[in-house]
Amino acid sequence: MLRRSLLTTALALTATGGLTGGARAAAPVTITLWHMEQPPHRVQRVQELLDAFNKANPDIVARQEPQSWGDVYAKAPAAIAAGNAPDILFAIPDFTTVIKQLGTLAPVQDLVAELDAKHKFIPAAVKPYSYDGGVWAVPLYNMALSLWYRKSVLQAAGVAAPQTWSQWQAAAKALTKGGVYGMGLPANKQLYTDQTVYAVMTNAGASELFNADGSVCFDNPESVAAFKFYKDLYQYTAPDAASWTWGEAEACFDSESCAMVLQFTVIKSYDQQGGKPDDLGVIAVPHADSRTASNTIAYSNAAMILAKDPAKQAAARKLITFLLEPENYGRFLNMEPGLFLPVTQDGAKSASFWGDPLTAKYRPQVETMIANSQFGMLFGFTGEKVFPSIGAISAQNILAETLQKVVVDGQSPEAAVKAGQARMQDAARK
Amino acid sequence: MSAVSKDAPAVVAHRVRRRVFREQLLAYGLVAPLLLWLGASLLYPLAEALVLSVQDVGIIGTRGHFVGLANYARILGDAGFWLSLVRSVVWIVGNAVVQTVLALATALLLAEEFPGVHVARVWVIVTWIVPTIVVVIIWRWLLSTSGGMINPLLMQLGLISRPIGFFSSGPMSMTALILINSWRWFPFVAIMFLSGLQNIPLDVYEAAAVDGAGGLQRLTRITWPLLAPTVFVLTIIGTLLSFNVFDVVWLLTGGGPSDATTTLPVLIYRTAFKAYRLSEAATMSVVATVLLMGFALLAIRQLAPKSQGA
Repeated sequence: MLRRSLLTTALALTATGGLTGGARAAAPVTITLWHMEQPPHRVQRVQELLDAFNKANPDIVARQEPQSWGDVYAKAPAAIAAGNAPDILFAIPDFTTVIKQLGTLAPVQDLVAELDAKHKFIPAAVKPYSYDGGVWAVPLYNMALSLWYRKSVLQAAGVAAPQTWSQWQAAAKALTKGGVYGMGLPANKQLYTDQTVYAVMTNAGASELFNADGSVCFDNPESVAAFKFYKDLYQYTAPDAASWTWGEAEACFDSESCAMVLQFTVIKSYDQQGGKPDDLGVIAVPHADSRTASNTIAYSNAAMILAKDPAKQAAARKLITFLLEPENYGRFLNMEPGLFLPVTQDGAKSASFWGDPLTAKYRPQVETMIANSQFGMLFGFTGEKVFPSIGAISAQNILAETLQKVVVDGQSPEAAVKAGQARMQDAARK
Repeated sequence: MSAVSKDAPAVVAHRVRRRVFREQLLAYGLVAPLLLWLGASLLYPLAEALVLSVQDVGIIGTRGHFVGLANYARILGDAGFWLSLVRSVVWIVGNAVVQTVLALATALLLAEEFPGVHVARVWVIVTWIVPTIVVVIIWRWLLSTSGGMINPLLMQLGLISRPIGFFSSGPMSMTALILINSWRWFPFVAIMFLSGLQNIPLDVYEAAAVDGAGGLQRLTRITWPLLAPTVFVLTIIGTLLSFNVFDVVWLLTGGGPSDATTTLPVLIYRTAFKAYRLSEAATMSVVATVLLMGFALLAIRQLAPKSQGA
């Protein structure tokens, strides 16, 4: 009798999947997000959003593992090779070309199209990730370089906010006095210098690095003009600018040692220093006198999906969709208020974005930043095709290296640009 | 009886041999796991680097093809590689000179007895235990022209008329890097010197004093020669450690400006993780390893203190 009872119970448990089996079937899908937003307040904001997502989706556990931009170019390929890749990996355009070469990147054009229908992406944000017949990452936030200054300082010097190169140089000269540097410009062999150099290049009409056939076209009169102008402007910067990254330039502006700087933002540090919102000026990067409108360097950060398991892929898509919902998106962007700009039209209008106290306080400046981002472009991602060598060109900071040849080694812009072209061609070799 | 006594030495010898053999077996058995671990952890990466160096692997994680010695031909014919090697030699010699002078002076001071010397001997090591990133942040800030302390200090002393960029020109960058790295490492060398100094018998100094030797003579004729074993060890270890310093250089200058501080480790890192040429970087690593091993063997042969009995 007892034996029959036990047998019946065992059969019943087997038929229902058993307690363990039932629990296993209900086990949530765990996905891992790698991002490079390391400052603690950004990590905390991402965690708040992940907590909200996990609460709304009990069948998914999303967790974050913050990385650094300095390490991730080596760490992510190694993790992929070892089979320990994250399910979602944040990216900038050139990093995407590196990961794509490993052959594990899932195209996301269907997800981007779905999200575009709901939120309307800014086309410039999607373009750097659209090539080779697919879209390789979902844009999440934008950054655009602008010219920052204090209105009162310019007024005191009797100069107007510059719109052309000649006005810019004249303003920098007039503002360089009494221990103040008229223009904070970097010359480090580093990404920040790549960005400032390219911002000047785009305003000389030298935005293309590649011909349509993939050959390098960096050595052209417009590039030479841009490097010549940069050199002219560089005489008004701080003497240690050859070792600057973003932080040093921002510190120079905050300490009022630099009258103007090219930055993605200075809002947070300016505000922390007690600056008045009305006195903070921001305009588009001035253009060459021969041109009529300004461009800048801008690029969207995006999310790549590396998950191979269908359940994890679905969970990763769900998380990205969640982040772009207007009620969450503003909170996501405001993990660094005044820096990260929306890549969707409804995100740019969302109450969650403008509701942040700092963003609201500097609304005119943020609106100008968003307007500037509409005219942004990124080296290597301007044409119809994207060539994989841009990954190596960008990672080796060849634009900044070319600039150092001019402002540190004293080479002529013509010779330096010619050498830069050779370096880019060498980077493009297999 | 006589047969037993005749065989006894052979039996005893056999037993002794067996016991020695068992003890040796046990000893080898005890150290074998560690030797295997050391062998694997040292040889496996070297073997991997060797294999990579004869392939054309680009991005880490991708596959490559066998290319023979093409990478070696390319690297050995590349002026950039040799320039980086020269910079590494400048870096090693600069660090060795600055650290030796600072460390010896500090060790001689700390070898004296004065109030607080025990506290000083502990605290002198502080700069060595500070994490690299903190060292870098401290010095970046001190040398900055926007709020840094060094420029205003030099201007107040009348040494400069306007702020200077310490990392804006090649020679100045290399000098600043050597001084910062030496600031970090000289306490370690000083502690090594101090332990060497404490091993020199006091009666040698007393005898020299009786013979009328002055301070300089005692330093050059007693202290320095008797520190030779310490100097020898430090020369080898210090050279190898200095050669491999990457973090301070990378974080402070990134190898710039204009490659002026691109030492070989920086070039290897850039080639692997910026230019995505892992095999070329592995080739440079193999060549660097051969050069360092050659240096170590040469140094042991030429600089090792001669034994008194030999």
